[in-house]
Amino acid sequence: MSTNKPARILLLILLPLTALLASGIGAMTISPAQTVAILLGKAGIHLPVNYTEGMANVLWQIRLPRVILAILVGAGLAVSGAAFQGLYRNPMADPALTGVSGGASLFAVLVILSIAGWPGISHHAMLQNYLISIATFIGAGLTTLVVLRLARTGGRTPVATLLLAGLAVNALCNACTGLMTYTATNEQLRSIVFWMLGSLGAASWSVLAVVTPLVLIPVLLLPTLGKSLNVYSLGESEAHYLGVNVARLKIQLLLLSALAVGACVAVTVIIGFVGLIVPHLLRSTNGTDHRRLLIDSALLGAIILTLSDVISRTIIAPAELPIGIITAILGTPLFIGLLLKQKKQLSSLSF
Amino acid sequence: MLIVQQVSQYANTKPILQEVSFSAAPGRLTILLGANGAGKSTLLRLLAGESSTQKGDIRLDGKPIADYTPHQLALRRAMLTQHFTVSLPFTCEEIVTMGRYPHFGQQPTQADKAVINDCMEEMDVAGFKDRIYHTLSGGEQQRVQLARVLAQLHGQPQKGSRLLLLDEPTSGMDVFHQQLCLKKAKEKARAGAIVIAILHDLNLAAQFGDQLLLLHKGRLTAQGSPKNLLQPNRIRETYGIDVEIVYHTAYDFPIIVTRPPFYSPDTKTDVYATDNNFSERTMDKHTSGKPPQTDTGRSS
Repeated sequence: MSTNKPARILLLILLPLTALLASGIGAMTISPAQTVAILLGKAGIHLPVNYTEGMANVLWQIRLPRVILAILVGAGLAVSGAAFQGLYRNPMADPALTGVSGGASLFAVLVILSIAGWPGISHHAMLQNYLISIATFIGAGLTTLVVLRLARTGGRTPVATLLLAGLAVNALCNACTGLMTYTATNEQLRSIVFWMLGSLGAASWSVLAVVTPLVLIPVLLLPTLGKSLNVYSLGESEAHYLGVNVARLKIQLLLLSALAVGACVAVTVIIGFVGLIVPHLLRSTNGTDHRRLLIDSALLGAIILTLSDVISRTIIAPAELPIGIITAILGTPLFIGLLLKQKKQLSSLSF
Repeated sequence: MLIVQQVSQYANTKPILQEVSFSAAPGRLTILLGANGAGKSTLLRLLAGESSTQKGDIRLDGKPIADYTPHQLALRRAMLTQHFTVSLPFTCEEIVTMGRYPHFGQQPTQADKAVINDCMEEMDVAGFKDRIYHTLSGGEQQRVQLARVLAQLHGQPQKGSRLLLLDEPTSGMDVFHQQLCLKKAKEKARAGAIVIAILHDLNLAAQFGDQLLLLHKGRLTAQGSPKNLLQPNRIRETYGIDVEIVYHTAYDFPIIVTRPPFYSPDTKTDVYATDNNFSERTMDKHTSGKPPQTDTGRSS
C-alpha cells in the first residue's frame, strides 16, 4: 500500500500534460500556452498569448473533442479490462479475447440494419448514437454471460476453456455479422461500413454527449468494487465467507464492464490490447490490489490511448493510420516482454 | 452456541449427509473425523452458511444461519477451506489484509494493521509479507491463509458467539507448524469461540480435541471425548484399518498406533523383510509388465 501514492500522482500529472500536448499536435500546431489561452478565453479569462481565430476553431471543434474521446475510450477499455480480469479471475481476460467486443459489434450491426430504413432515426445522429450504444451494451453483456457460463468448470474459469469459449462465441458473432452485411441492401451496407470505419475521428461534442456518461459511470463506480474484487479472486466461496454478496457483485461487474465496452465499441469499433496491456503493466509494477488497480488503469489507459491517437493521425499525415494498428504495434512487444519476464510466475498460477 | 438438528443433504438423489445432529459450545475445540467422502467438508460448508440446508436446521445463537446476511456472518464466522486457487499475484500481506475487509471501509485503520501484523507473527509468516502468495510452498500458503482467517475473527463481536471453521488446517504443514496451528485453534476456543476443525490425523485429534465427531458415509456415528470415541473397532469401521490404542503415563490422551498392512505384530517383523530377495523381486515385478524396448528405446 506504500507504493500507492507515487504511481497515482505520476499518472495524475501525466494525463493533463498528455492531453495538452495532444491538443497541440497536428496539421496546425498550437503551442501548449496557446491551448491554455484559448481554453481560458472560452471561460472569459484572457491571457497575454497570441493565437488566431483558426487555431481556436480547430482546437474547439476538432482537437479537443477528439482528445477527450481518446481519454474516455482509453479509460473505459482499460478499466473494463481490469474488471474483466477480476470477474474471470484471470489476468489474461480481455474484452477482445473473450468475445465481448464481437458480441457488441453484432448487436450494433443489428441495430444499424433495423434503423437504416427509418429516415427519422437514421438522420438523427445523436439518437442513432444512443441506440447503437444501448445495443452494444446489451451485446457485450450477453456475450460475457454466455462465455462465462461456457468456460466455467467446477466453480473455476480456467484460461484454456475461457479462450476457447471466447474464440467460439467471437467466431459465431463475426459469422452472423458477416451474414448480415452479405444480405444487407446497398443503403444498409453504407451505414454498416460507415460505422465499421468508425474511429476517434468521429469525435464531436454530440458524440461526447453520448459517450461521456456511459463511460464515466463505470469508471467511477467500478473502483468502489475494488475490495470485493480482491476477495473474489480468492474464490467465490471465500468471497462469501468474507461477507461479499457474490451474486450481486457478479451482476454489478458484468453490467458496468459491459457498459464501458459497449460505449467504446459503439464509437470506435474495437481497439485491441488496451484492456489487456494496461492492467498488466500496472500489476507488474504496482501490485494487484484492485482498490488502486482500477483507478490507475483508467488513468494509464487514457494516457496511452491519447498518445496512440496522436501517432495514428500524424505518422502518415495527412492520412490517418487506424489506431488499432498503433496499439497492437506498441502493445504486442510490451506484452511479449512481460510474458517472458513473468513466464515462470504465470505458469505457477492456478488456471 | 451452534446447534445442528437433523440436517440432510443430497447431491441429486444421492445422500451426502443424513440426519446429522450435534451441538458445539463456545470454549471448546470440536474435531470432525471421517474417511474421504464421508461428508465432512459438505457439513462444514453448511455450518459456514454458504448454502442453505435441504433438510434440517442449523442455528447460531438461536438464529438460523441462513437468516444472517453475508456481512453479519463475516463479522463473526471465519472459514478456512482446502484447495486455494489465488489466480492473481497478490502479496501475502494483501491476502491477510482481506481477512480484515469486513471490519473496515476502504482503507484499514491502525488497529486493523496491528491485527494483521499480529496474526502474521502468530502463524510465523511475518517474513513473507511482501512475497507473492503463489511463490510460497503449500504449507506456507496454508499458514498465510490461516493468518487471514485468524485476522478475520480477531476481537470480540458486539454480541453473540464467534465461529471458526477449519477444513484440514494442518494439510501441507510440517510437524512444528501442525502443532502451532492447532495450538492457535485451541487458544481461539479457550478465548470463547466455537471452533470446529476437520482433521485426518487421529493423534492430533486426540491431543487437541475437546469433543470429537465421527462421520461415516454421511451419518454421525459417534461423538464424545477422545478417550471415549477413539476405540479400535470404531476406527476399523470408519477407516478400515487396524490400530492399537496405548496410553503413556505422562499423557492423559490416547495414542493411536496404526498397524501397517505388511507388518505382523506376532513376530514384530516386516513381512517383506523376511524375504531376502525383496529388492530383486519387486524389480522383476516392476519391469515384467512393460515391453522391453521402452526402457532403452526412448533415451537414446
